[in-house]
Amino acid sequence: MASLCRQIVRGNAFKSVLLSTARRGYADKMMPDPLEHATGMERKELLAMQAGNDDPFNMKVLKKAAGTRDNPTLVPSCFDARIVGCICEEHATAVTWLWLHKDHPRRCECGHWYKLIEKQPV
Amino acid sequence: MKMNFNHPFHLVDYSPWPLTGAIGVMVLVSGMVKWFHNFNMNLLILGYFIVILTMYQWWRDICREGTYQGKHTILVTKGLRWGMILFIVSEIFFFVSFFWPFFHKKLPPNIESGAMWPPTNITPFNPFQIPLLNTIILISSGVSFTWAHRAIMKNNNSQMTQGLFITIILGIYFTILQAYEYFEAPFTIADKIWGSTFFMATGFRGLHVNIGTLLLKICQTRHLNTHFSSNHLFSLEAAAWYWHFVDVVWLFLYISIYWWGN
Repeated sequence: MASLCRQIVRGNAFKSVLLSTARRGYADKMMPDPLEHATGMERKELLAMQAGNDDPFNMKVLKKAAGTRDNPTLVPSCFDARIVGCICEEHATAVTWLWLHKDHPRRCECGHWYKLIEKQPV
Repeated sequence: MKMNFNHPFHLVDYSPWPLTGAIGVMVLVSGMVKWFHNFNMNLLILGYFIVILTMYQWWRDICREGTYQGKHTILVTKGLRWGMILFIVSEIFFFVSFFWPFFHKKLPPNIESGAMWPPTNITPFNPFQIPLLNTIILISSGVSFTWAHRAIMKNNNSQMTQGLFITIILGIYFTILQAYEYFEAPFTIADKIWGSTFFMATGFRGLHVNIGTLLLKICQTRHLNTHFSSNHLFSLEAAAWYWHFVDVVWLFLYISIYWWGN
């Protein structure tokens, strides 16, 4: 009886060493893709960043174009109008604010032209 | 459905919890005064009940907004991070105020406390017994928490569960040891400046360990419901900051009050 018990114990112990941890069901549970876990705006932001857009909400300062009537600085917006803050010159101590409407390019008092362009919401 | 907004901010919905929280806190402190004066805890218990109910539901709503509605964009979590940082800074100054009287009385030979420290007839704890064990437990819990954090960063949910479990067990073990030490203490909070400063500082820190353990327990429950991923784990990180802060406070307590002040 004792030897039978020993056999059973030894056999099972040996088996558990032989089997991989995965087959014994002790493998670590991994989350395959954390992006699939995200939802809502958080997910849209992550997707935009994955697509190479590091400013999906257009929060950063725009780089100015030449600013002539034919080559205005393009301001993206998903609405009919957007407020633009023009830094008229490099050392300006105040920002000049102006409303920019769809289909109506507008000229700041410093002479710089802006134009609203359509953009899809995030 | 047309998306009528294009911004990363979380414009919160109307919520009753700030109001019920304010009422709860008011009832709580009034109840405390009633308890102190009339030895009657009814109002205090009602206050606790309202506050705990508010806390539960408010945090539940935030978990829903963050996890199930995806309202917590990068900018929003940045605000949450700043909130937690400022909260911990305020906690640091809270503990500064408990170390202050200790150093004030310990540093000069004070005539009221017998011109010696520990004051006359005070038998302090041996810092190399339970307090040293507690130090080891807390530092180990920091290690196991880092393990859990690294695991979730690597998308390994199982090891996160294990690491967090060990951290919570160590936190509870610490509390049990400190409670045992309090029962065994040969002095009380009424024993001169020593008892006052010792129990005020270690007592409040013990309370903070309890809060930290509660935060860890909430993180564990949320983790077991798969609320966390490698890019959605701010509340875990906030709990980690808090836990490490409490850990550092213990090191200061151990070095200055238990060891040097012995």
